[in-house]
Amino acid sequence: MAHNPDGNQKQVHYVGDSRVRADRPKLYPPDYSEFPGKSEAFFPDFLLKEWMVAAVFLVGFMTLVMAEEPPLGELADPTNTSFLPVPDWYFLFLYQLLKYKWASGPFVVIGTVILPGIAFTALLLAPWLDRSKERRPLKRPVATGIMIVSLISVAALTWAAEVEHEKQMESNPGETPENTKVIAQDEEGYRIYQKNACIKCHGDQLQGLNGPSLLGIGNRMKGEHKMTAEDIIKIIDEGRGAMPAGMFQGSEQEKKILAEWLMKQKQK
Amino acid sequence: MSKKLSRRQFLTYTFGGTAGFLASGMLFPMVRFAIDPVLKKGAGSEYVETTMTEAEITDSPKAVKFTIHRKDGWYQPPQGEEQTAWVFKQNGKVVALSPVCKHLGCTVNWNSNPQFKDEFFCPCHFGRYYKDGRNVPGTPPAKPLDKYKTKIENGRLLIGPLEKA
Amino acid sequence: MLRAIYDWVDERLDITPLWRDVADHEVPEHVNPAHHFSAFIYCFGGLTFFVVVIQILSGMFLAMYYVPDIVNAHPSVNYLQNELAMGAIVRGMHHWGASVAIVMLFLHTLRVFFTGSYKHPREFNWVVGMLIFFVMLGLGFTGYLLPWDNKAYFATKVGVEIAASVPVIGPYIATFLQGGDIVGAQTLARFFALHVFFLPAALLGLLGAHFILIRRQGISGPL
Repeated sequence: MAHNPDGNQKQVHYVGDSRVRADRPKLYPPDYSEFPGKSEAFFPDFLLKEWMVAAVFLVGFMTLVMAEEPPLGELADPTNTSFLPVPDWYFLFLYQLLKYKWASGPFVVIGTVILPGIAFTALLLAPWLDRSKERRPLKRPVATGIMIVSLISVAALTWAAEVEHEKQMESNPGETPENTKVIAQDEEGYRIYQKNACIKCHGDQLQGLNGPSLLGIGNRMKGEHKMTAEDIIKIIDEGRGAMPAGMFQGSEQEKKILAEWLMKQKQK
Repeated sequence: MSKKLSRRQFLTYTFGGTAGFLASGMLFPMVRFAIDPVLKKGAGSEYVETTMTEAEITDSPKAVKFTIHRKDGWYQPPQGEEQTAWVFKQNGKVVALSPVCKHLGCTVNWNSNPQFKDEFFCPCHFGRYYKDGRNVPGTPPAKPLDKYKTKIENGRLLIGPLEKA
Repeated sequence: MLRAIYDWVDERLDITPLWRDVADHEVPEHVNPAHHFSAFIYCFGGLTFFVVVIQILSGMFLAMYYVPDIVNAHPSVNYLQNELAMGAIVRGMHHWGASVAIVMLFLHTLRVFFTGSYKHPREFNWVVGMLIFFVMLGLGFTGYLLPWDNKAYFATKVGVEIAASVPVIGPYIATFLQGGDIVGAQTLARFFALHVFFLPAALLGLLGAHFILIRRQGISGPL
C-alpha cells in the first residue's frame, strides 16, 4: 500500500502497520514558554494546589450538608389540588417566562421554543458567532453585553418567580381539612381567641368568615419549614394581606398562649 | 537513597495526605450508610400466639403455622409472614424446631421418606435429622436444626425467637 | 513488592507513558491560584468535576436502598434518610450536590465565556461543554422526580406540560417522557433509567472528550 508506482514521489512512511502517517503532525499542546511567568509540573506541584482548593470546598460543602437536612415532602398525591408546583431553582426562570402574557396562551411557542431556542443555540454556537481573535471581555462589547443582559434577565426572572411563589404560598389557604373540629376548645387559648377580634374574621369554629380558615394551621408550611408559634405571633403583630397589624388587644403572655393554642390545631 | 526528604517527595506525601482527607471525607458517610444493616442490632422478636393448644402437642412432631410481623426496611406486609415450626413433646417439655435445613436452607419434613422412619428428611440433598433435631452423621447437614423458644399461656402455645445456639 | 507488580503490569500494558503524559505536563502560572489569587476563577471546572464525583458516589450508595416504584419510592427514601445511620448526610450530599454542581458549572461556563477561551482552536470543546451543561440539567430534571413527593410530582407535571406545548412534536415528547398518558408509575421507571444509566453514560463520555481536548489543545493563554 505504501508503494508508489511513480518513483519520483517521496515514499510515504506509516507508523508500524497502521495507516497513521509517520509524518502526521502531532496535536500535542504547545509548551507554555511564550506565556509570562513560570509554569510548573501538573503532578505533584499544581495538582496539590488544586487539591487544597478541593479540601476547602469539601469542608464547606459538608458543613452545608450537615446543617440542612434534605427536604422530603409528603407522598405524591395527584388529587391534591392545593399544592403549589414549583420546579427546582435552576428551571425557575423558564417557569416564570411562561407566566407572561406574551409568552403564554397563543404565544406559548415564544416561551417554550423560540426564546430558549435562541438562547441555547446562541450559546452552543458562540465560537462561530463571535469569531474575532480578541479575547478580553471589554474589547468585544457585543458578546459581553449580550451575555450580561441575558444573565440579568435570567436572574430577574428567577427572582420574580421566587417572589411570586412566596406570595402564593402565603395566601394559599391550604386544603380544607376533613376534620373540622376545633382542638382543645375548652382551653385558655380559645378564650383569648374569643375575646379578641380574631373570632370575627376567622370564625368561632376557625372555619373562616372574612378571613381564611385557621383549621389545620398547625400543619401549615412557611416556605420549606413548618410554621412555628413565632411565625404566628409575627402575623398577629404585623398583619398580613387584608389583616391589619396590631389587632390583638391582650398582653404578650396571652398572645403567646394564643399562638401555642393555634399550633395545636393540627386537623387533617 | 538519602535520608533527607526531597522537595518532590514532600510534595507527593502532602498530596497523598490531602487525597486521603478528600476520599475519607467523601466516603466515610457513604460507607457507614451502606454497612448500617451490618451494625444494626437484630430487633428482639416477640412471642407469637399459635392456633395450637397445649393438649394438642403430642410426642410426634406436628407442623404449626404462625404469623410474624417483621419490618423489612420500609416494607412490612400488612398480613404478616407465615412461618412453620415442628412442634412435639420430649420428656414432657415442648420443643419447636425450625424446618429450615442447616445444609442449604431447604425445608425439612417429618417422616416423609419411607426409607428413614421417624426422622426429619430434607428432599434437596437427603439431609436427615433425628427427632430431637440432631443431624444424622454422614448426611450433608453439619449442625442440628434450630429451636424456637416456646411458652404456654392460657393453654395455648406461643412461639418466640430462635434460640441462639 | 508493589514496584514489582507495577513493573510486571507495565511491561505488558505500557501504562507509564499514559500517566506520565498527564503527570509531567506543565501548567502555566496564570491559571495557578497560588501565584495570582484571581486565578481562582480557573478552579470552577475542576470543582464541577469534583462535585460530579461526589454525585456519582453518593448516587451509587443511595441506589443500595432506593426503589424506583410509586408505592415504595417515597417510603424507601424516607427510610434511608431517617432510619439509617448517616442517611440524611448521604442523601443531603446528593440533593445539595445537585444544586452546587449547577452553580459550579454555571461559574465555569461564565469564566470560559468572559475570558474568550472558547475561541479557535477550542470551539469544539465549548460545544462539548454546552452538551455537558444540557446533560446536567437533564440529570437535575429526572432526579427531582425520584423521591416521589408532592414537590417532585407536580414539578415534573409542569415540566412535561411545558414540553407538551411545543408545536407539532410536543405531545410526542410528553408521551415519551411520561411513558404513558399520565405522570405515574411508568414515568418514575423511565426517569430512573434516564437518571442512573442513560444520562450518566452520556455525561462520562462527554467528560472524557472534554478532558482529552483540554490536554490536546492546552489551556488558553493569559488575557
